Formats: sequence, structure tokens, C-alpha cells
Amino acid sequence: MARSIIDPVTRIEGHLRVEMEVDGGVVTDAWVSGGCFRGMELVVQDRTPEDAAHIVQRICGVCPVSHTHASSIAAEAAYGIVIPNQARIIRNLVEGGQFLHSHILWLYTLAALDYVNPLNALNANVGKAYDLMEAAGTSCNTDLKSLMSTLTKFANNGQLSIFSGGWFLDGLAPEAFKLDPEADLICTAHYLEALNMQAKASEICGLIGGKMPHIMTLVPGGTAFVPTEEKLDELYALVRELRDWIDSTMLPDTKIIAAAYPEALGFGRGCGRYVAWGVFQRPNFEMADRYMPSGVVYTNGELRLEDVDEAAIKEYVGHSWYVGDSDLNPREGVTDPLYTEYYVAGTEHEENGHMVGTVNDRYTWSKGPSYNGECMEAGPFARVLAAYLRGGEKNQYVVNSLDKLMADLGLTLPQLQSTLGRVAARQVECSYIAHLMVDWVDELIAALKEGDSEYFRAPEHLTGSGTGFWEAPRGALYHTEHVDNGRITGYQIIIPTTWNIAPRNAEGVRGPMEQALIGTPVTNVDAPINALRTVHSFDPCTACAVHVSEPATGKHFETVTSPWGVR
Amino acid sequence: MVTEATSPEFLAKLEARGVSRRSFMKLCGSLAVAAGLSELAAPRVAAAIENSVIGAESGKLFPVIWIEGASCTGCTESFAQGDAPDPAYIVLEMISLNYCETLSAAAGWSMEEAKEQTIEAGNYILIYEGAVLEGWDGQALRVANEPGTDILAHAAKNANAVVALGSCAVNGGWMAAHPNSANALGVQGFLKKQGIDTPVINIPGCPANPEWVTSVLVDVLLVGQLPELTSENKPKVTFNQTVHDNCQRRGHFENGEFVYAFGTPEEAAGYCLYPMGCRGPMVKANCGIVRWNRRRSWCVESGGPCIGCCVANPDNPGENWVETNTPFRARFRDLRIGGAMVQPEAIAWTVTGILAAALVVHGFGMKKAGRTDGGAPFEKEREWDMKHPNESIGIYTLDDNSKGGN
Repeated sequence: MARSIIDPVTRIEGHLRVEMEVDGGVVTDAWVSGGCFRGMELVVQDRTPEDAAHIVQRICGVCPVSHTHASSIAAEAAYGIVIPNQARIIRNLVEGGQFLHSHILWLYTLAALDYVNPLNALNANVGKAYDLMEAAGTSCNTDLKSLMSTLTKFANNGQLSIFSGGWFLDGLAPEAFKLDPEADLICTAHYLEALNMQAKASEICGLIGGKMPHIMTLVPGGTAFVPTEEKLDELYALVRELRDWIDSTMLPDTKIIAAAYPEALGFGRGCGRYVAWGVFQRPNFEMADRYMPSGVVYTNGELRLEDVDEAAIKEYVGHSWYVGDSDLNPREGVTDPLYTEYYVAGTEHEENGHMVGTVNDRYTWSKGPSYNGECMEAGPFARVLAAYLRGGEKNQYVVNSLDKLMADLGLTLPQLQSTLGRVAARQVECSYIAHLMVDWVDELIAALKEGDSEYFRAPEHLTGSGTGFWEAPRGALYHTEHVDNGRITGYQIIIPTTWNIAPRNAEGVRGPMEQALIGTPVTNVDAPINALRTVHSFDPCTACAVHVSEPATGKHFETVTSPWGVR
Repeated sequence: MVTEATSPEFLAKLEARGVSRRSFMKLCGSLAVAAGLSELAAPRVAAAIENSVIGAESGKLFPVIWIEGASCTGCTESFAQGDAPDPAYIVLEMISLNYCETLSAAAGWSMEEAKEQTIEAGNYILIYEGAVLEGWDGQALRVANEPGTDILAHAAKNANAVVALGSCAVNGGWMAAHPNSANALGVQGFLKKQGIDTPVINIPGCPANPEWVTSVLVDVLLVGQLPELTSENKPKVTFNQTVHDNCQRRGHFENGEFVYAFGTPEEAAGYCLYPMGCRGPMVKANCGIVRWNRRRSWCVESGGPCIGCCVANPDNPGENWVETNTPFRARFRDLRIGGAMVQPEAIAWTVTGILAAALVVHGFGMKKAGRTDGGAPFEKEREWDMKHPNESIGIYTLDDNSKGGN
């Protein structure tokens, strides 16, 4: 038995600690701890819903658009607004730009360095690398020869910069990096290209939103952005460039990586239950009919999908750094932050050169959400499953892509649940959205041609309640608010990663990521690379995950008598 | 060596789940043969890398540690979306970014080791993103089982300079807004309390524009000096003029042409957003010059009134951009007295009303004096103001330039 700790988990958004017990080369127990408390819901209290839509974006610099979007949907429900069709399309586009940005960033900037060894690329034969590009059907936008000379110069200088301490270095886990030098060279080239392409995807958000991160024009009531011809032609070109790059680079690269790491299909399964609230509105604004539709999916036993029921959601705080052990619907949530130690006092001791101890009952700033009393996984895998199970003509792209993926792998849908399965599902979604973006620009232009020129609608009334069920790139996002005469009297957020990094529940059942870590092979406890791959497969965003719903001052968030479930 | 991928136990496990090695090959076709699963030689790294995870302690790259405090990672994101120089060039050919939670290949122990070795070697810049949280003795932010406050103090002590990046790092940002439940403050304020006198460069913004960061790096690396700073330790080149000074809609302001509602023809025409609550005249930053997202647009160009995200007094967390500027859509700030939010007219007037009136009178004065031509017809009392007496930006008469405000 040995303890293995990853803290900080890097290449994620926010602060996350993963602590594992390793026995016989596999993880036998795990504790996932969200490391930061900021108190967003308290800050928007007493402010206007319009202010909140701006402020809540600051929860996350990777998915700010999703937060302002969910917040605006909640405000619009409270205000009695149905947004104009033009605003709907523009909002789909700005959201889509962020999804593409986030998925590109995830595969290359965040996850790739778990699989790709950029220093091994120095051993590549450039000629053979071009042949491999051809064989793999991946794009060739980088001059590999000049990249080699850049890398050689870099290596000769000796300072490792962002590769400092990389687990591919000697003494850590170099044997876990299995790509050929040529594949490493190609993936390194695309890693650097991706830095450019993720920024390009963000240009779409900047163009519509003024700046990204933290856009300025998605407002309760519609959009402050009015498209002009010179903005439209830029949009038209950007969405096409991104679609082509994703199809020609990201998808083939995923196959290169997957081929070298088949073992990642064998671990990281998780809890087998999923929530997706749905994202990208169609003209009818129905959750179940969104481009990525909503659905609660069960895979243990019979594969089935249910519609979403807001009343089934609860948040448990008994294993988190909050007072008490309540397990309440977020509409009634009473939370009082209180840090108690991470390790049980007096149990800390040195092991393997590091201080370890017995993890306390309360060990995270993240709360434990549940649906019908059970923890649930959120993310692109959940969305793809929901779309697949809803099926029909509207979900054909996802159905076909997933069928093909399963046929290629010889796997059934429940078998796909794994670390690598999450990677693959994210690519399916990314490609789908990249194609939708092109359609949406065309849709916007067609609407303009017909003289559609409404972008914003003012509130019908200033008092009410509303919920924004939505999705961030990394999963189901929930904002709900109560508004009294234009001022927020209660605000609640449940964020995707909160679902995924939930601690144990009242019965001691581990959260989804903790469950996914159990059984993951670990050979070097100081560099548990497969565990890191599993953690990254969730695309955690922990700055999002930790939040608070009630002031420590004892103010109580009153449950309102009017129905909250406005969707 | 038996790796996890090839161990018999693993293959058995995989097969038990219906995955055969063959099905994998099928997925990848001829590629799998080429990409292969072969054992690899240990990676070749420069001779300097022996007992160190950061490689050579010095070289032609300037060492930088980038710590995320209580952050949303937005400033890292923003930095990573810059160009000329782009982030790849910066981290491979300008700086040795030995510690960066979002970009570093390392994780866990080796990550912390990289930071320690850089601190020990000295001669580095610390970039700190996000707020400093003093709540629960600094445990509101925990990294590597340490309170965030200790981590910052330790890394700042030995640094040549600290760049407090983004409004949160300058004075706590939105986290310092009421009720400031995690006791947020900025780097400068925190270091002062700790008696650490490392120079601090404050770069506000939510997030900070990548251009603002690279201009500081250029000062340090290419010009060999720290940038010239304002009294708040903000780079003068960026933060010495108002947004309004360099706004592309400024001409419409001078013409008295304003937007009164989102999505209107006035908005499409690019009229001034001042009546929508734009903070441009009160906020110092050069957004209109550097623009955002590779100069694709910026807030005001896209139709979003400035919300003053660069407002950050490094010595006063209470004077953060959220507290100072909400409600964003109104031209008068909210004031908190105890837990209550109030908007007393008299106070509102003294805070921003006089400025508002003066600006508008100037705009109309220009028009009256015939220095501007065309544009909106001059209205003695504008129709919009009559309909919205509480939101009016003023009543103007041709005879009396001194009148204004509400």
C-alpha cells in the first residue's frame, strides 16, 4: 500500500488535489479535493440580473460564455422574456465559438502532454514524419524541419520552460509515453498550431462579444451585438477555417493518440449515470430539442434516458468545508463555509519523502450534488449519450458518429465508458459543433436577408424567478435566481465539475471522479500518469466547481412560493 | 520492460471488456503500424538536465513563475490568445515558464519541485493571477496542502518583481466585492502587510489584455528595465488615459448621438453608448487602441458598454470594479451602507453626476458651436429623456450650457 498524490493537478482550470491509495499497482481508494472558495453567489446578491450576467462569467475564464448564457436564460425566465430569433442564432454562435475554443484547448494544451513527449520529437526523422502524416490523414500546416530546428535550439539552451518537471522526463514516467518520435513530432507541431487555433475560436467570441474571456454583449433580453456586413464576412471565414482544421487535424490526431494508448479504454469508467441539460437552442427553445439535447442517462443495467426533473437535484455538504450536513434542493440551500483541516490532526507523517495522513471526513471546498440521491457524471460524454439515445433525424450526426466509433472499436455503448471513451466523445461533439457553426452563420445571413432585425427585448415585469439549464463545454450547468423588483434576492449555481468532483455522499459512496480513479493502474506513485489521464478526461474546471449559496452571516435564502421550474 | 499497456493482466482486462488489440488496429488502420506501440528510448534532453526538473538554471530565456491564486484562469487564457509574439514563441524563445498551472507539462510533486528550484536559483519574475484570499488563514485557497498566502509570500520574496495580473490580483477584483466572504485582497496590499518589499507591477483588467502583459515582458527582456508606472504602480503606457479618450465612438459622443437601447438602429450605426452606462469616461485603460482577441474587436465596438473592469485601487480592496461600477447599466453607482444597497440621489450626483453632466454639456456645446456637422438633430429636451426622467442624462437648453444632469 502506498499513497499517491497529485497536487496541484495542472493543465486544468482552477485548483484540484487528487489523493489515492495504491495497492498492487492499482488505485484502491481516492479523495478528490476542490482547493479554492470564492463566494460568487454572495457577490451577485442584491445586484441586478443584468449585472449578474456579467459578474458570474468570472467564475471561469475558459467557459465564461456558458455562465453568462445560463444566467441570462434564468433572468429571461424571471423577466418573462422570449428572446428574438436573431439573438438566439447569435448566442448559439458565441457559445459555439467558446465550445470549439475549449475543446481544442483541452485536447492539445491540457491533455496532450499526458500522451505526447515533445522532447522525444527531437529523435524524429522528418521524412518519416511526413510519411506518417500522409498515412494518418492528418493535416500538414507546420514546416516540420523548422520546428525541429526550433526544438533543437530549445533543447540546446537547456532551460525546460513549460516542460519543466514533465512526467516524460527521466526518473518520472518516461516509459508511459508511447508515441514514436515521428508521432511525437507531429503532435508537438499540432500542439503549437492548436495554441493558434484555440485563439482563433476565441476570436469568434471576441468578434461577437467584444472580448474573450468574459464577453460583453450577451445580455438578458437578447444581444447587444448587431451584426454588420464587415463582421459577418469575418464570421463566415472563421467558422469555415475552424471546421476544416478540426476535421483535418484534431480527429486524425485523436486516432494517433488512441492507437498508442488502448489501455485507456480499460480504466476510468466512473459511476455510469449521466446528466445533460442540453445546449444550443433551436427556434422552439425546448431543452429536449436543443442541438445537444437534455437527458438523464443510466447505463448500469438497462440503457435508458429520462427527461430532466429539477426537483430531483440536491446538494450535500456533509463531506465538504461547510457547516452542517444538509442535503437540499439548491432552491432551499443553506450553506455556511467553514474550513476544517484536510488531514485528521496528528496523523500526518512522512512517507516516501512526502507528508501524508488520514483524510478527514470533510476534505473539499466542493459540494456533492446528486440527482435522485445519486452522484452523476456531466460532460461531453453525457451530452453525446443523451443525443444518441434521443436519436431521430435531429440527432443523426451524433448517432452516426458514435455508431461508427463503436463499430471501429468493437465496443458497445456501455463499454465505451472509460478514460479514452471520454476523449473520443469530446471529439465527436467538437466536430458536430464545428459543422453546426457553419450552418448557423448561414442561418443568420438568411434571416438578415429576410429583414429580421430584432436583437433585444425588454423585461415584461421585474419580479419573478427563473432557472437557466444549460451546458458548459465540460458539462451540465445550472443557474437559478429569484428577482424582486429588478434586484436579485437569491442566486444558485451548480457547475459541471461540481458533479464530477463530488466527494462521498451521506452513505459514503464516492463521487464520479473518485469512482473513475478506482482500478486505474499506477506504477510510479510520484507520477501516476494513468490517474492524471483519467482526471483530465473529465476536463475539470474547479474554479467553477466551488461556490457558495448562503452568507455566513446566517441570512436565510427563502424558498419562494411561486414555481421556480421555469426552463 | 513490461509497461502497463502490454502487461498480460491488462490485456486480459481489456479482453474481458470485449476490446481486443485487433479491434484497435482496425480503428487505426495502417496508422497503428506506423505510430506503433514500440518501446522507446529515454528522451534525449540537453546535457544540463541532470539533477534538475527545470533543466539549466540559467540560459538565454528569462525564468518566470506564473502562480494562479484565486483565479478563473481568464488572464492565462487571455495571454494564451495573444499574437505577435504568440504564446508558443514566448514560452520557447523568450521566457522559461517553469511553473504555470495551465500550461506546464508537470503535475503534483515535480510541479512543486520546478517552482522550488526556480525560486532557489533566483533572478526570476513572478506573475500572480487571481486574488489573494486571507479567509481561514489562507486555506480558502489550498495548493499542495499549503495555504495560498504562504505560497505567494514564499515565491514573491526572492523574485526580481511581481506582476499582479488582472483586477483580482491588483485588489481582489470581484471577490473583494460585498460581502467579500473569503477576505480577498490584492498582491500589493498583501505583500505590504507581510513586509515583503519586492516591487509590484499592477496590470488590472478582467481579464488583462495579452498586449499589456507582453509589453511588460518586452520592457524587462528587450529594453532591460521595468516599465514606467503610475502612482498605483500600473504601467503608464497602458493606464494613463481613459477608455473614452481613445474610443472609436467618441465622435458620436461629440455629436450628441447616443444609443438608448440594445439592438436599435443607433447601435448598428455605432453611436455612443454613454446612456447605456458606459464607464469609458471614468476608467483608465487603452482598450480602444490595443483592442481584443488579436484586434478582432473590443467591448465598445461590439456594442457592449464599458463596465470598468480595470478599476482597481491596489491599496483598497473595497474599491474594486464590481463594487464601484454596479449597476453597470446605470450611470450612478450603488452605495452600500452596512448590508443595504442604496442609491441616494444626492450621493449619486456627487459621485458621477457632475462628470456626466459636464461631459454631455461638452458634447452639446460642440454641436451648438457648429464644430460638428450632421448627426442627430439637436433636441432641447430629448424625447427619450422625457419618457425616462429617472434615467435621463440631462436636460439641455441652447441658452444655458451650465445645465445638465438630473
